[in-house]
Amino acid sequence: MRQTPGVTDLLSSPRPAVDGGEPEHRPDWGWLPDPDDVPDDAALARAREDAERLLADHGVTYGADRPEGAGPWRLDPVPVMVDETEWAGLEAALVQRAELLDAVLADVYGARRLLTDSLLPPTAVVAHPGFLRALDGLRLPGGRELVLTATDLVRDPAGGWRAVADRTQAPSGAGYAMEGRRVVAQVLAGVYRQASIQRLGPFFHAMRAALREVAPPHAEQPRIVLLTSGPASETAFDQAYLASMLGLPLVEGPDLLVREGRVWLRALDGLEPVDVVLRRVDAEWCDPLDLRTGSRLGVPGLVRSLRGGAVSVVNPLGASVLENPALLAYLPRLARTVLDQDLALPSAPTWWCGEPTGLQHVLSRLGELVVLPTVRRSTPGLIQGWTLDAAGREALAARIAAEPWAWAAQEPAHRPGSADDETDRAAMLRTYAVAHRGSYAVMAGGLARVAASAVVSSSSGAVAKDVWVLSSQPDPLVPDDDALDAGAGGARLGAAISPRTAENLWWMGRYAERAEDRARLLRVVVDRWDDFHHRPRSAGGRALAVLVQAVEPDDERTGATLRELVLDPRTPTSVTSVLRRLGSSAATVRDQLSTDTFGPLARIDRVLRAERSRRRPAPDEALDLGSYDDPRSATAGLRSVLDQTLEGLLAVAGIAAEGLVRDVGWKFLDAGRRVERAQHVVEHLRATLVERRPTPVEAALVDAVVLSHDSSITFRRRYASGAGVAEALDLLLRDRTNPRALAFQLDRVRENLGTVPAAEHLLADVADLVAELDPAAVSSAEGRRERLAEALDSMAWRLRSAAEEIERVHFARPGPSRALEDPWDAADEGERP
Amino acid sequence: MSRTYDLVHRTTYSYASPVTDSYGRTTMTPRDLPGQAVLATTVEVDPAPADSSTHIDYYGNRTTYYGVTLPHTQLVVTARSIVEVTRVAATLDSLPPVTWEEAARAVDEGDLAAAVSPDALVALRELVLPSTHVDPGAEVRAWAAPSFAAGRSLGSVLVDLAHRIRTELTYRSGSTTVSTTQAQLLAQGAGVCQDFAHLMIAALRAHGLPARYVSGYIETRPPAGREKLRGADASHAWVSAWVPGAGWVDVDPTNDQFVDDRYVVLGWGRDYQDVPPLRGVIFTEGSGSRLSVAVDLVPAGSTPFL
Repeated sequence: MRQTPGVTDLLSSPRPAVDGGEPEHRPDWGWLPDPDDVPDDAALARAREDAERLLADHGVTYGADRPEGAGPWRLDPVPVMVDETEWAGLEAALVQRAELLDAVLADVYGARRLLTDSLLPPTAVVAHPGFLRALDGLRLPGGRELVLTATDLVRDPAGGWRAVADRTQAPSGAGYAMEGRRVVAQVLAGVYRQASIQRLGPFFHAMRAALREVAPPHAEQPRIVLLTSGPASETAFDQAYLASMLGLPLVEGPDLLVREGRVWLRALDGLEPVDVVLRRVDAEWCDPLDLRTGSRLGVPGLVRSLRGGAVSVVNPLGASVLENPALLAYLPRLARTVLDQDLALPSAPTWWCGEPTGLQHVLSRLGELVVLPTVRRSTPGLIQGWTLDAAGREALAARIAAEPWAWAAQEPAHRPGSADDETDRAAMLRTYAVAHRGSYAVMAGGLARVAASAVVSSSSGAVAKDVWVLSSQPDPLVPDDDALDAGAGGARLGAAISPRTAENLWWMGRYAERAEDRARLLRVVVDRWDDFHHRPRSAGGRALAVLVQAVEPDDERTGATLRELVLDPRTPTSVTSVLRRLGSSAATVRDQLSTDTFGPLARIDRVLRAERSRRRPAPDEALDLGSYDDPRSATAGLRSVLDQTLEGLLAVAGIAAEGLVRDVGWKFLDAGRRVERAQHVVEHLRATLVERRPTPVEAALVDAVVLSHDSSITFRRRYASGAGVAEALDLLLRDRTNPRALAFQLDRVRENLGTVPAAEHLLADVADLVAELDPAAVSSAEGRRERLAEALDSMAWRLRSAAEEIERVHFARPGPSRALEDPWDAADEGERP
Repeated sequence: MSRTYDLVHRTTYSYASPVTDSYGRTTMTPRDLPGQAVLATTVEVDPAPADSSTHIDYYGNRTTYYGVTLPHTQLVVTARSIVEVTRVAATLDSLPPVTWEEAARAVDEGDLAAAVSPDALVALRELVLPSTHVDPGAEVRAWAAPSFAAGRSLGSVLVDLAHRIRTELTYRSGSTTVSTTQAQLLAQGAGVCQDFAHLMIAALRAHGLPARYVSGYIETRPPAGREKLRGADASHAWVSAWVPGAGWVDVDPTNDQFVDDRYVVLGWGRDYQDVPPLRGVIFTEGSGSRLSVAVDLVPAGSTPFL
């Protein structure tokens, strides 16, 4: 989406048009003291590029549920600007709306006094699948049923706000809004610093307070978790980001269980009680026992636990009944009855087909209305009546007539073919409100989205915008975001992490190390390739042949070219493949990591992608030492790619070493890295130094091996020239002060995870083998160094077994859940007399 | 005149590999109703659950949750009740002569029901809608059409539907599963009591008439001279239809009769989904299970069988 400052975004507060025509919705930079500071097209183009890069650096993704996987979140940094006075009116209207919806929700699951034909037709509620009878009669502590609500708004043709939908199931996007603010504040720092923009932070503070407020009375320091629908969900980033912003553990259904009527988190060292669940799982999936049979996203017994008052779920299960668009038609009269007020925020005119008059109206204007199934996510989604031909309208009319209660229709915000020619564009503002101090707090801003089509949906490519509510008076410079990073919502769930999280951290450590190991090996090969590949008989050439053989372990040999071993995502042993696995592991534990972790990964990804897209003459030969006309064709560009990859990985390692609290999660991350490095050093020595070779070859080899384990400088400094295999073994296996040596890794793993008896035993054996190893003796053997081979082999299998043991003991999960066979028509198996 | 029954309903699951956690919900304890008094009722789960809890659900049924946390390879859920039944069956003559169209209009316009209580209107509106196992689609409409002659009394429609189900469809144990639709049932011409109840409910709802699904039992040791009834020694299910002026009238299409004092009501809902006797979730590495269900409904004081 390309825009210049003068172009309408359809949402900003209206400004007089330059040519005196209809007022326009566009950002007004008039408040900038110096007109020269108004960002021009070039500045905005730069800001867009910067924003794109920052979003990638922060790992901001969207749509992991799509077949093609998650893509980048798209943000146009040019903000939507709303004047404070206009916003104040909207805010009050949103508070009123939240209070009204709350009252309706309480009534629907309580007295049901509002469910009459003169107020809210009962069928509009009971025909909606969001009405969960299993939750009937339940109440949240704290005085409100609706804790969180989001409202989708558009500008009507007169420039006012219109609600088109309420999101009450598990409103998404607040995390994207916050991230958008951070990015825009950075890429438009010049103007951002001069603006008095209302802050988003207070909304998240209010959200934390609200979660504490609804805790069961027995919980003095409530323990709160965010129940996510998992890394493969559409808004996985939003969920994980919100969890880390609110300081809540990100948990999946299988991480929780119900025992003794309570909800517990399966932590590594036992069960931790949970008092409040902020859910991002749709209600019907939350309990396979009392809600949707077969769901694995939920927790069996959750509804029982709610009924016993032992846990609170936000939004309460069943709140999505308010998402029925039919409700929009009845809010004005409900407001008068329930609140004794007129509804302040008009909805887009909406008709529910479950009422004869509504049905008649909709069928007579089918070609002009947006037709909505009352259930979101049913297929088809919304239907624009004017896009249908006569046959299509007839088919739709028949479907509506068959199940009229399942349909509603809405007046479109922008009528097709209207004067301003905006038919191919639409914009929507999602606002957020949270229960706060007896009423509601509204986020000062929200998530704006602009689409190049008539339908605004992130899944069909809408672009997000930050929303600036401009204050007239300067704001004391409260930092917007970082205040939230400190402190947690209620009591920390101790150092409690689930086995799933521990496992993901462990694998993140292993993949980070594996990527680094592979990059180092390949760099050493690439460096020698150009010099020696065409001189296979030289000492350097023979050493290179050994190094090439050792790049891939025997059992994983793919026969790939050097270039493929670096760049090819389909080669399982390539640096690129390992980095992808690292990225997936990291994304699942985003709430455990510093946000800085994702920047280096994104930069590596850009470097690899850029090189991959570059056309290089492709050598057919695999890694044999054949001849190339131009030796550089095999290695062109790789050295620089590997350098940058290693820099990025070192940054990731540094962030983990310096930026993470030494809690149990860190221990798994570090242990994963150590175990991987230990295995790598053993296996690499096994592949390179066991065979005895002529001295010049061996010298070249030792040099390369030591270099690929980042120990060259020490090696040269410590040993006089002429140092060989014995010295290399000493430095890489036995030296407990060398952070690349096996002995060092063993110390660290045992320190981190000394509690697994079987693994501890195996690691102690490896340590003994290392201690007993006499480098001088094993290296001086005649012919093949058999004793060294034996020692390395027995170290290697013990390390592998220890890793398996650690995985078995710590990452054990409960068996999968399944539904009991239904007793539909079951009879006694035995014959009855 | 009253009958008192001893009722035992036992469900046994056997697994090849151990189940570590088992969560379940039962609707196996009879309701107290006009014409039905529950003198005693218990639900027993073996192995003993670490947690159990009973409440009255949305439809007024008594339902019991259990959570077993001892590893086990066999789970036995046994409900025992003593019930006194004094219900007198409806007869066609005793029902008000309201036509089915009038009944449908009363629900649609709502005044009659709303006069009783707002909640009554909510319930009636809910019970004319499709539900998980009730699809009043084209097949059901076509099948039901002959029973819905214009101006016919609702009572007569009920009698006719029950009679047609009894005579046109075959009762065959094991011929359907929980996911069999009404269209499939009509195509194969055979089913069990749950299917027959669902079909009759679908036919009524297709015409705007509220109907609910009733889960319970029928006494199957017949007094001399009466025909052996089907649905023996198992859960039974039938239909409750709303008749303006008479309220909810229970009809058993499987046996083509109004429900009388040989029936014990457990509970009701929109369809089977709302009131299965038992449903559950288990955690296990294994797969498969063997299920057996035994029901004994006998005059109080009989020698216990289960």
